[in-house]
Amino acid sequence: MSKKESAWTRFAAWVNGEHEPAESRLFSMGMGPRKERRPEITLPKREEKQRLHGFLSWYPVASAVIGVILVGILLATVLAMPSFGQVENPTNNEVPAHYLQHTREETGASNAVAGMILNYRGFDTFGESCVLFLAVSCVFILLLRDENNTSQKDLEQAQRREQRRKRRQDVILQEAARLLSPFILLFGAYMLLGGHHSPGGGFSGGAVLGGALILYASAFGQDAIRRFFNEKVYNTVRVIGLMLYAVLFGYYIFTGANGLENHIPLDYGGLILPIDIAVGLVVACTMYGFYAMFTRGEL
Amino acid sequence: MDLIQRILENRFSVTAVILFGIGFANLMLQYNLVKKVVGFNIMDSAVFLLLASQGYIEGAMPPIVAEGAVEATAYINPIPSGLVLTGIVVSVSVSAFSLALIQRIYHKYGTVDLRELVMRTEKEED
Repeated sequence: MSKKESAWTRFAAWVNGEHEPAESRLFSMGMGPRKERRPEITLPKREEKQRLHGFLSWYPVASAVIGVILVGILLATVLAMPSFGQVENPTNNEVPAHYLQHTREETGASNAVAGMILNYRGFDTFGESCVLFLAVSCVFILLLRDENNTSQKDLEQAQRREQRRKRRQDVILQEAARLLSPFILLFGAYMLLGGHHSPGGGFSGGAVLGGALILYASAFGQDAIRRFFNEKVYNTVRVIGLMLYAVLFGYYIFTGANGLENHIPLDYGGLILPIDIAVGLVVACTMYGFYAMFTRGEL
Repeated sequence: MDLIQRILENRFSVTAVILFGIGFANLMLQYNLVKKVVGFNIMDSAVFLLLASQGYIEGAMPPIVAEGAVEATAYINPIPSGLVLTGIVVSVSVSAFSLALIQRIYHKYGTVDLRELVMRTEKEED
């Protein structure tokens, strides 16, 4: 027991960067003293430079030729494809027919697109949510502004900009935001909750919700939105959205694969409605995260 | 005459290919990194246009099915719409990530022009 605990504490220390494993050479990223020995890069450096300049000079010609050839091939392909909008095209085969005919009794959604992406192909959409989650995490890693990666001058400049913005507040923007953001939030919630029987759903509803947050933040400043939507709430909401999706869809797949009865009623969109909400949370957080990172570098 | 007929029958696909070419040329020939990202997004839009046009059926309804027995050919094909949704999500993520990278590059080197970047990295090596 104690051994396991110590292994766990060592692992936690390693994750936090306080402990170096025995083979630190494998995990460290070139933190040691720089090696003096320079293998034969130094000798043909001039040639290397010339090769680079040569590449940059013929590169436009080559890429233009490649582009023209590519477009030619694609045009030939496209002109050989079946014509636009005909019922007997090979894309309209038995798969969409099955989706359209059975989506009501199998998924509980009358919107066939929502039924398809969130139920028949739910793992695909789960991957999409993970892509969004990872993208916003990567943008955080690259752009989050703190004492470690920003010079003092830049920090002071950002503070001055913020103060100047506070002194000169935009009345039109603020009044418009005060008037509009409740309705935009309401419309986003409507799209989010009605995705199973009307156009809308998690992605579009979440984008509208994120737009409302962005409008509010740009009108009243980051401090106003931080009162109810700070970094902790933000991270909690987006993790909960992803986890909710994973747990719900895992339960659904598990019961279905084992022939068990799942206790999800089909009356109000079945599985689609809670998954739509989960996706909407993730998308709204992603949109707002992109805005906050690109404008101010902090949440 | 026959060629014009084919082009008119596949007008959306042909437009998509032309857009793809414009985006590809932008991606390859622009030296400004932000313009490269714009070209990439034009390419994405071309792919979405091609996919979405493949699912359309002349005179059919949007795929929100009514109650009761359903004639599948009365609605458009729902699958390309779902695929376009996937593509849009990936496109947004890739654009945001590359723009963040470009912002870091600008902070470090003070330029987003590819030729100047090459020159500055060379100067740094010397």
